[in-house]
Amino acid sequence: MSARNAKKRSGEAGKTGEVDRFALTEVIPASRDFIFLDKERCAGCGNCVAICPMDLWKLREGRAVLARDYKKKCTECGSCFIACEVGAIGFTYPPAGTGVVYKYA
Amino acid sequence: MKNYDLIVVGAGPGGSTAALTAAGAGMKTLLLERSRYPGEKNASGFALSSKAWRDFPFIKDMELPSMRMGRQAVAHILSPPPELEERFCIASGPSRRMGYPEARDFFTVGMLRREFDQHLADKAVEAGAELRLTSLVNDLVWEKGRISGVCLEGGEEYRAPVIIGADGVMSATARLAGLREKWRPDEVVSVCAVDYSAPRERMDDVIHEAGFQAYFGPGIGGNYLISYADGVHLGGPGVTNSLISRLACTRIKPARELLETLAAPPTQRLLRAVEAVPREWQVHCLPWMDRMPTSIYTGGLMLVGDAAGLPEPLYAEGVWQAMYSGRLAAQVAREVAEDGDASAASLKRYLDRLEESPVGREFVGGVQLRQLFELLGDPRACGELTEAAVDLTVNMFMSAQEPKAECAARFFPIVAENLPVLMEVAKIYLPMLLGIGGEKLRGRIAVLKGLGAMLGQMAGAGAVSGGEVEP
Repeated sequence: MSARNAKKRSGEAGKTGEVDRFALTEVIPASRDFIFLDKERCAGCGNCVAICPMDLWKLREGRAVLARDYKKKCTECGSCFIACEVGAIGFTYPPAGTGVVYKYA
Repeated sequence: MKNYDLIVVGAGPGGSTAALTAAGAGMKTLLLERSRYPGEKNASGFALSSKAWRDFPFIKDMELPSMRMGRQAVAHILSPPPELEERFCIASGPSRRMGYPEARDFFTVGMLRREFDQHLADKAVEAGAELRLTSLVNDLVWEKGRISGVCLEGGEEYRAPVIIGADGVMSATARLAGLREKWRPDEVVSVCAVDYSAPRERMDDVIHEAGFQAYFGPGIGGNYLISYADGVHLGGPGVTNSLISRLACTRIKPARELLETLAAPPTQRLLRAVEAVPREWQVHCLPWMDRMPTSIYTGGLMLVGDAAGLPEPLYAEGVWQAMYSGRLAAQVAREVAEDGDASAASLKRYLDRLEESPVGREFVGGVQLRQLFELLGDPRACGELTEAAVDLTVNMFMSAQEPKAECAARFFPIVAENLPVLMEVAKIYLPMLLGIGGEKLRGRIAVLKGLGAMLGQMAGAGAVSGGEVEP
């Protein structure tokens, strides 16, 4: 392939670039909560919103809100728990045998 | 309630190595894992370094379907966003100066954690350990101020004089033992990854043995590519850019940054060449410390691997560290079982030995290594260093455009022109070298200092004649 063609080809949107995070993540929903928000402590800083790789946190009226269906989507990475500097977010591992499933890690 | 000589929480590489060491030495060992199979929860994009072959006889004969040899490491440096085209590329094979044969032969072997973790857990079971899957520890048993057992979520209770916590970055055992509530945001990186399947023949043709590749560039990067026999794994952002404290500050979404690099032309070309098809999205946190953590034991408990915060301070490599600390903790567990003293004072020997071991020595210069990574992540510094490298390479070796000797003569002006940024790198490296100490190194540093003085003089000369050296 000539350099020119190669350049042209690289400009095309390839299938490999399209990554649907949710379609590519398998989660066995946990039977109990494993992320806990202390609304009184939440300072509304938005760290959890910024950090969550699955976009499961939002700010509403200056407070963090966790997606209702997080148990179906959360990869239990714990980033929000670490990012929360006022200690408003609690995190435990989900019950044994539930949560995210990685087959190709 | 059941009694054991040792309970290991977590059947990752650290836990399984601890269990196989202890069981191999005749200890009645219980290995607990919260997942349905070992490796189910580990999203790492994993390449095991040659150190593991030096240190662990039980992996010498290991053959796993996903293994790909990494005899070459490649750093791609991309131009600043939004362009993200390849600006500079360095590929390297192992150095002949390395101290053991495996290190002179290869850097890493890429493989899937599902296979590797299963392999190690199988070895632990073969050695006599009892493996219990889908078992989540949610409490510790205390006796006379010391930890003496674990409780599972289902209510079962197991007792042992010593517990090894190998339960990862969000370690429940560390929290329950009161060793820490959680890591600080500047101690943890949050990394996303996309795993692709790719036909083995394409991987052999395109990737061959370039098992570890990384994408850097001004203001972006540190995204890394790990290759398996029939797949590639692209993760990022790289460690400095993915520190949780930094992400909270910059508001850059780690997922978005990774997806941007994935969509960049050089990565797209590579993914197309290997006919990659995305098969899994993965997210994980890693502890990333500049000093070796010391709060890693208490009466009746030792932490290993990520639970102890042991990934090294440059790339956050952590599996070999987990295995090494796992074995050491198991050896200490056996000693204290013989003495009958598992107090904190007695278990301090675990920390002492770990600090002196190769795992501890990885932290020498840790502060500087972190600074180096931050410098490379800085758009200005990274841009200047990249341009200096391009300038030197093109003018010294690759000038088709102009007479070769004239190009080669630009070496000194290029170095002089880039002295400020080179000095920034030197400022990080020199204290790191001083940190190692020893007469031999002091000698080398004297030479470096001389060179530095010489370069300084040349910089002065370069500044005076700056206008004249450029054609």
